[in-house]
Amino acid sequence: MAAAIELIDLTKMYGARRGLAGLSMTVRVGEVFGFLGPNGAGKTTTIRLLLDLIRPTSGTVRVLGRAARRDAIEVHRRVGYLPGDFAVDGRQRAGECLAFLAALRGGVPADRIRELADRFDLDLRARIKSLSKGNRQKVGLVQAFMHDPELLILDEPTSGLDPLVQQTFLDLVGEAKRAGRTVFMSSHIMSEVEAVADRVAIVRDGRLVALDTVADLRDRSFLRVAIGFAGPAPAAEFAALPGVTDLAVDGSTMSFRLDSSPDSVVKAAARHTVTSLRTETQDLEDLFHTFYTGGGDTAAADR
Amino acid sequence: MTTSTPSPATTAPGRVAGGSLGGAFNGSVFTRTLWDNRRSLLVWAVAAGLLALVYASFYPQVSADSMANVPEAMRGFGFEDTSTAAGYLRGAVFGLLVPLLVTFYGAATGARTISTDEESGYLDLLLAHPISRTRLLLHRYAALAAGAILIAAAVFAAMLAVRNSADLDSIAVSGFAAQTLNVALLGLLFGAVATGIGAAFGRSRGAVFGSTAGLGVLAYALHGLAPQIGAEWLRYLTPYHYYIDHQPLINGVNGGDIAVLASCATVAVAAGVWRLNQRDLRR
Repeated sequence: MAAAIELIDLTKMYGARRGLAGLSMTVRVGEVFGFLGPNGAGKTTTIRLLLDLIRPTSGTVRVLGRAARRDAIEVHRRVGYLPGDFAVDGRQRAGECLAFLAALRGGVPADRIRELADRFDLDLRARIKSLSKGNRQKVGLVQAFMHDPELLILDEPTSGLDPLVQQTFLDLVGEAKRAGRTVFMSSHIMSEVEAVADRVAIVRDGRLVALDTVADLRDRSFLRVAIGFAGPAPAAEFAALPGVTDLAVDGSTMSFRLDSSPDSVVKAAARHTVTSLRTETQDLEDLFHTFYTGGGDTAAADR
Repeated sequence: MTTSTPSPATTAPGRVAGGSLGGAFNGSVFTRTLWDNRRSLLVWAVAAGLLALVYASFYPQVSADSMANVPEAMRGFGFEDTSTAAGYLRGAVFGLLVPLLVTFYGAATGARTISTDEESGYLDLLLAHPISRTRLLLHRYAALAAGAILIAAAVFAAMLAVRNSADLDSIAVSGFAAQTLNVALLGLLFGAVATGIGAAFGRSRGAVFGSTAGLGVLAYALHGLAPQIGAEWLRYLTPYHYYIDHQPLINGVNGGDIAVLASCATVAVAAGVWRLNQRDLRR
């Protein structure tokens, strides 16, 4: 399948500080791609490299099959971009600002701008500087979507939006996807992209720590199991079971992490007198947090 | 949104009424920039025109007093001769108020070319559009140049307005044109310096304005003080030499001066363009 975004061994140094360290990944045409990571992980750095706002120290950036730098003008024509810190000239009115940005692209039908503004309930006559942060973000979303670009690059698109507006945004992402567009959006909250993303990449410290479908990431979640026994905990017996790791014994209570089916554990426990049994599911947000804090299974990351 | 469906934008009062979205000035970055800056530009032009008008109209009183007691320290600044119209204008109007005003215009507006938007993050958005860095900078600079010409035109108009009433008719209209042309060029030069510094180094708007204005004031002082410290040659290093020392009010246009001012401005802009194309945008 054709690649909308292709990053090969991308490294970006800011002086001695490392922004990205050998990031490689591919975003396919037509998918909604969630780009996740804590603040400072390199999400915005990656996005600004895609748009040729900054240049890589080494590595290759290809967007829509073109070189991000050499073919910048063509790439920009085909891309819609929402910066993470959206700012425009505060002296302009919202409609004026959008018409100007549209003119830079050779024009966008005024009806299209009005339709989007209506859906977001944005007053086009308001001066930008009089708008709240959320309303300014709406201006940003309208300008990113208005020319129906092949690829949308959205840096933290939902920041500052109330839930209703967030839903409108998700609707637009869905429409773009159905129209065959590619959406690349960053976030630091899993639940924001979980609902719309086909695939999700997680970055930390400028490196890719996971790249998978939301469903497969979910499959990677595990159980935290604690079993209390009438006698001493049979640690050795359980440690040998498939999928059991991180085993700890506290008197007659034993706790461990379980990554596979619970079948063998249940059968092993049945041979003893069990006084208590407690399991906790680790949900996607927890899993995500594990990746964030460095506990993620880096070896399993899809490179 | 949940309780009532908004009526169509075109009919609902207080919403987008039919008509345009306000795109009359969106033809290019050049026109957009001029329109966005219209208020401050008007203030600069009116201030320059009024100052020139007021000070030029003082000439009849001043020449009557024929203030021979100009302090020694002021000689280099062009205040030594107030007995002729050209001498008077060369001191107060074209020697002090107008050049410093237009220097500050260049510094302030040049800081807006790149720095203001880079500081706010707007530059990221603009340059993610299909417009090259070079093109954006040149359009912005062209708007700055148009503003400098407007300010010079306001000064020129002010001079013509009081030429007869203030006994300034010993100076030809072409003399005023030549001097105000240099006013525009001085604004263009300092605008180019601020543009170049902002484009090359990505500093904050305040830093770009401060360094350019500081440079301007330093050059102005150097130009004024050089004769008194016996280093006349230092004047050649300042733009103010090419701006006024050949007395355009009397001698008219000096091609060499124009060439020096224009080529310095070109070099500053070109260096800025070159660096801007190399470097990372800051945020």
